[in-house]
Amino acid sequence: MKARLLITTFLALAICRSGAMVDDALSFAYEAANPYVAEGFTVREEAWGGDLEEGGQKGIRHQLFKGNEYWFWTATDVEGAEVSVHIYDSQGNLVEEESWTKERFSGARVVPKQTGTYFLLVKVEKSKADRTAWAMVYGYR
Amino acid sequence: MRTTVSILIVVFTTHVLHAQPAKRINVDEFPAAVIDDVVVPVPSEVFVVLDKLGSPNWKSVMREDNSKPSEDRVQTALLLGTVIADGFIAVQAGDAEAVKNTGRTVLNLAGAIGVRKSVIARSNSIIAAADKREWPRVRRELDGALQDVRNAMIELQDEQLAQLVSLGGWLRGTEALTLIVSNDYSKDGAELLHQPGLLDYFDERLRNMSPRLRDNALTSEIQTQLATIRPLIDTKGEAGISSESVLRIRDITSHLVQSITSREG
Repeated sequence: MKARLLITTFLALAICRSGAMVDDALSFAYEAANPYVAEGFTVREEAWGGDLEEGGQKGIRHQLFKGNEYWFWTATDVEGAEVSVHIYDSQGNLVEEESWTKERFSGARVVPKQTGTYFLLVKVEKSKADRTAWAMVYGYR
Repeated sequence: MRTTVSILIVVFTTHVLHAQPAKRINVDEFPAAVIDDVVVPVPSEVFVVLDKLGSPNWKSVMREDNSKPSEDRVQTALLLGTVIADGFIAVQAGDAEAVKNTGRTVLNLAGAIGVRKSVIARSNSIIAAADKREWPRVRRELDGALQDVRNAMIELQDEQLAQLVSLGGWLRGTEALTLIVSNDYSKDGAELLHQPGLLDYFDERLRNMSPRLRDNALTSEIQTQLATIRPLIDTKGEAGISSESVLRIRDITSHLVQSITSREG
């Protein structure tokens, strides 16, 4: 109940960096993050998002710290669409420990071997919509 | 039976095909439009790691908060960032009074740059959570305060000033990190300073600011000093970041934080 309240608060306040509100996608992204809060992950209030065509990709550079464990969650509000997120190091090597995609949700986990700049790749894997709204949030512990 | 197995294989294969990302990509080949800015971490992302490495004396890196708004909006924006970072430090130190003071100062500084309304609720939540010593909640509220201030500034077409709030927070957070690491040097602790993407990001933001902001004495000084820090945070392979480099970065960031907090506006 507490976690649900927390997520609701997040939803009311979070705004995408792109400036465009992608409320529903963001709401789903926080839904994906929800179970991890109980596992000790602090979910940041800042969110990233936008819209892409099918097959479209967005790269996000991210400073990660060795010693932390991170989960990144993405979601879309387009029914039947799939949005993935994967994590690469500065050399372009896939470094995630695990990743999953389930319906409109996806997640990827990384335990950085080094502190530095990483590269998150968000991709609309499939969608019937011309533009697919997506949102990404992350947590750390 | 054979049909069932075949269906399972098809289903599994389909899933795997969807789930298998490229093992390697060429980051340099991505067009600039596809790549978003660097995500600036909140100070607690670094502090949580330091806590895992040992038991830092967070009280020793706290500073007396006598931050007052300046007539110079650049200074006030930078100051606001440093105060929010101070809040994260006070949480690490478990100092409820200092956190509550942060809540009040944030409100005061936000008022000076016209975004008071956007942080009233946060400020109250920070104070309430500190009273109950609910540290995870205080961290979330501080994170939220930073976001709310920046979003409110962006709404007021003050995005460049919003970036200075982030920069102020980063400078104070980095100063605290170097103070902790220089007191008890370890290679792992020093590696937390390896933030080349962030330094490049801030440098680019400062370079692209309007002449009015770029020519401000504080932003000019910060830009010059960021260029000095850049080579010091190179990990140089196995050697990592030396204790000498940590001390040098500590001196630079301490000096910059001092400039932000003490300059008469």
